[in-house]
Amino acid sequence: MSLALNNTRASQVAVIDLNSGNLLSLETAIKTAGFSLTTVKKPNDDLLTTCDVLVMPGQGRFAYVMQQINDTGWREFLQEWVRNGKRLVGICVGMQVLFEGSEEDPETNGLGLFKGRCQKLSHPKTPMVGWAKLDSYKLTMKDQYAYFVNSYAISECHFGTSKVNYGSSFCAAVQRGNLYGFQFHPEKSGSFGRELIKHVCQ
Amino acid sequence: MYVNNEKPDINGESDLCARIIPCLDVAYGRVVKGTNFKELVDMGDPVQLAQMYEQQGADELVFLDIKASVDGQQSALDMVYQVATHLSIPFAVGGGIKALEDVHRFFHAGADKVTLNTMAVEQPELINQIATQYGSQSIVVAVDVNQEVDGSLAIYTHGGSKLAPVDYHSWIEEIVDRGAGEILLTAMHKDGTGSGFDTDLLAQFGAGFPVQVIASGGAKGPQDFLAAVHAGADAVLAAGLFHRGEYTVGEVKAYLINNNIKIRNTEC
Repeated sequence: MSLALNNTRASQVAVIDLNSGNLLSLETAIKTAGFSLTTVKKPNDDLLTTCDVLVMPGQGRFAYVMQQINDTGWREFLQEWVRNGKRLVGICVGMQVLFEGSEEDPETNGLGLFKGRCQKLSHPKTPMVGWAKLDSYKLTMKDQYAYFVNSYAISECHFGTSKVNYGSSFCAAVQRGNLYGFQFHPEKSGSFGRELIKHVCQ
Repeated sequence: MYVNNEKPDINGESDLCARIIPCLDVAYGRVVKGTNFKELVDMGDPVQLAQMYEQQGADELVFLDIKASVDGQQSALDMVYQVATHLSIPFAVGGGIKALEDVHRFFHAGADKVTLNTMAVEQPELINQIATQYGSQSIVVAVDVNQEVDGSLAIYTHGGSKLAPVDYHSWIEEIVDRGAGEILLTAMHKDGTGSGFDTDLLAQFGAGFPVQVIASGGAKGPQDFLAAVHAGADAVLAAGLFHRGEYTVGEVKAYLINNNIKIRNTEC
């Protein structure tokens, strides 16, 4: 009985606050999905034992988000976190920094957890703002509509799990094991987004 | 760009959908309908109405606080927080924004975007400041344009009551140069007439225009939304026909889908 309870314990989710934009919608979505939530500005080793899922949203420039990550000690911590097979979810620029770099700030090194670099969208109307239908083989995303706000994106990735066209094709989502990235905003993507948050946090 | 299976235009393939955006006027934290500048009819609770439109399939919402300048902003900020914690689609807020500090308060309360109208003309530097600090995607500049008796186009501010000392074409260019992410283009000469959007005006903003254009003013039925998208609008905003219950957002979207427009389908 206690084992069954253990198995159904709600995941402990922590949102990384990189001081880049409002976390209210994301926090609301995670709480509404039934998870226990904390918001963390700096890494601490307790997280490795107390927390199941780290969610890293990011808004603004690639270099700014990376600087926040480096200055607060997240770079080493996240690498350790991923080495331990723990779950990490990057959203928007939070997904982009999982890669090696970006055309937006070519001098800045990303976390390098995925191979590849971000490129500027080839469509002249940027930022891309609005909804697009995902081309995905994953049942959680197949033919769903997601809300995008971005000017840069990963055009090719071996671990891409969904893609969309905007001028040319780019990766809307990536996944390798417990490492997830979403270029769109699940917290702004209606009921689909809420379900997706539930799926990746549980 | 929003027609299914058409040949890619000069910009290449795009999966982006045309957006349908209900607009809600608010005052003192309630949704209102103004019959004239003095009489306001209470239409209900912003959160309930926002959720209703989200369920109908709205892609985004715009809240315009028509009394913000009178009442200060606290009621608007409380409303934004309530909406942000109950809605899972994006929304923009406008009305009474005078300085970067006001913008910060709205974002902090949970708004995804702000819209500027009068202050964009009076203090255009604010557009640059918002774009620099929060990114172009966070700022929508509302342009109220009127076709004057001589046929020329003029820009108005202060809720359409004051002629602005700017040239229409150079003002549109300036907004884009200063970093606006979207333009909310209201044709005043069409607003409330139910004679359809100004498609000639929208046709000036085609595939080559560098930011998205939201068409506003004149919607009577779903065919007007279709005409606006065909003319070049990236998104279409309407108030009256949704609030009066003449059409649901879902009905408008179904009509557009049936007419081969890329629309976020929430019916399945």
